[in-house]
Amino acid sequence: MVVSISLAIVMQTTVRPAKASPLALWKWASIIILIYVFIAGWVVPLKPGIIAVTPERTIAGKQVILKVKGYNTFFSRDSDNLRAWLRLRGDTVIQSQRIEVKDDRNAVAVFYIPSAFPFAQDAYPLTLILDHPTDGSSVLPNAIFVTPAVVIDSSEASLWYKDKIDKIHDQAGIRFPFRNILAETIRNTYFHVPMWFSMIVLLGISAWYSLRYYRKGLIIDDQKSTAFVKIGLVFGLLGLVTGMLWAKHTWNAYWSWDVKQNMSAIALLIYAALMVLRSSIDDEMQKARLSAGYNMFAFILLIPLLFIIPRMTDSLHPGNGGNPAMGGEDLDNTMRMVFYPAVIGWILLGIWISQLVYRVDILKRNQ
Amino acid sequence: MGRIWNLVAIEARIELRERFALAGLLLYVLSSSFIVFSIWRQLPAKEWGLTFWVIFLFCSLMAVLKTFGRESETRYYYYYTLYHPLELFLAKVLYNAALLIFIFLSLWFVLFVMAGDHIVRGGWFLATGFMACIGLSVLLTLIASIAIKTQQNASMTAILALPLMIPVLINILRLTAYSLGTTPDENPWNEVTLLTSIISLVTGMALWLFPYLWRS
Repeated sequence: MVVSISLAIVMQTTVRPAKASPLALWKWASIIILIYVFIAGWVVPLKPGIIAVTPERTIAGKQVILKVKGYNTFFSRDSDNLRAWLRLRGDTVIQSQRIEVKDDRNAVAVFYIPSAFPFAQDAYPLTLILDHPTDGSSVLPNAIFVTPAVVIDSSEASLWYKDKIDKIHDQAGIRFPFRNILAETIRNTYFHVPMWFSMIVLLGISAWYSLRYYRKGLIIDDQKSTAFVKIGLVFGLLGLVTGMLWAKHTWNAYWSWDVKQNMSAIALLIYAALMVLRSSIDDEMQKARLSAGYNMFAFILLIPLLFIIPRMTDSLHPGNGGNPAMGGEDLDNTMRMVFYPAVIGWILLGIWISQLVYRVDILKRNQ
Repeated sequence: MGRIWNLVAIEARIELRERFALAGLLLYVLSSSFIVFSIWRQLPAKEWGLTFWVIFLFCSLMAVLKTFGRESETRYYYYYTLYHPLELFLAKVLYNAALLIFIFLSLWFVLFVMAGDHIVRGGWFLATGFMACIGLSVLLTLIASIAIKTQQNASMTAILALPLMIPVLINILRLTAYSLGTTPDENPWNEVTLLTSIISLVTGMALWLFPYLWRS
């Protein structure tokens, strides 16, 4: 920006353009969209959820006192109507005998876990479900593991069918979903994912300009293609960094040699090699022709690298190796209201920056 | 086709005239396997496959690197008047593929003698090797034709080619795991389809781009 403004000032003293041209509509759109994305993405609170439960395991056939730690919850409001269930499967649930609310974030629920279960298993993972008039319902899967009792009273199996989850409250207001491992990092969806979308779009535009150079041989197409590769690389690097930060919080390591991480790093290496190739050739035409050829070749190989191979291997990343892609509870309608604008906004910003880069390049060349 | 064979024959004659060339490659295979073997001492099946392809990778880079540097530039002008660039390219690819198959077979023999036989499905390994040789030959020949135009020819080939080889290499490693019997996967046809489609993609792109890159 600074470079382009100062260059514009320099140009004004020499060329004197008739009138400073106004900012194009799509640039305004990208500014407004990104301001909206940053505000909405950071300010909108998460839905209430359950962070942790102690104890993590118990034995069937006795009473268990569960300490529940909530997130963004308001237990002390209307605390008489707070209800809790432990769910074995489907409708097979037991309701808590009583609940004591300590404060907004902490509550204690007392359950009696029947000594007999409807089916036999080594251990029974139970899901904790809370319902509250203002907070709505929240769920913690595999909250507590129950090992079978020593003495089994088979008449107690009917206790599992006595209670029902009913009259669930909905949480009012615009809020992002609370996911157990993601928690607040779910906001990274608006930054990490659009980075890769933008990178693919920018590299695609770059390959298209390379194709134009291949057809027509105008040096300006080569400069445009290079500018798009440079900014595409920056976006790819940002995607990698945001992904690594996200991975630290969810997978517990910045780099876990996941196939998706490896393949995207290799994609960046391929394009870094293109920049090295450009710097090692002196002749302008030669440089333009070779980099146009390599660029198209690289973009075609990028498709199996980023979209096919990760899908065939086990991966922690959503959308690969049998994991569900974005959607369902990870991307609900509230998030879509921010996510889709974010994708469009970041792509427009990338195109804008690339445009500035090649304009500066052209000005430098004409000096 | 006859014209292409002529070019292949010329290539082979030039290579064989310098006796150290082929012998040098063999020595490279032998000494690198020796280094790896003296570090590992023994190679279990999984490591055998990995070692094989790491050595093969660097040998193939070595072998294809000098494919365009062998003859003088004026000779290429001469070729340019006689042959279509595609004929030259196909001749180079065929010759390099033969060279890579030679490396593949000799490396297999060396590792077989040194580290024992771990291959359960020999036919599969041979097929994998042939596919790898053809795919890498096309890819490396194209990259070598780009790199010859730059100043640091040798390092540039490695920089440009190594990341591009990875999609091919990953599938080859999976097929190797299948032929070594170290994977529970019982259906390798997915990998075969993916590998052949990547190779044909690379070949198509290379055939389209080479005439354009070659004229200078």
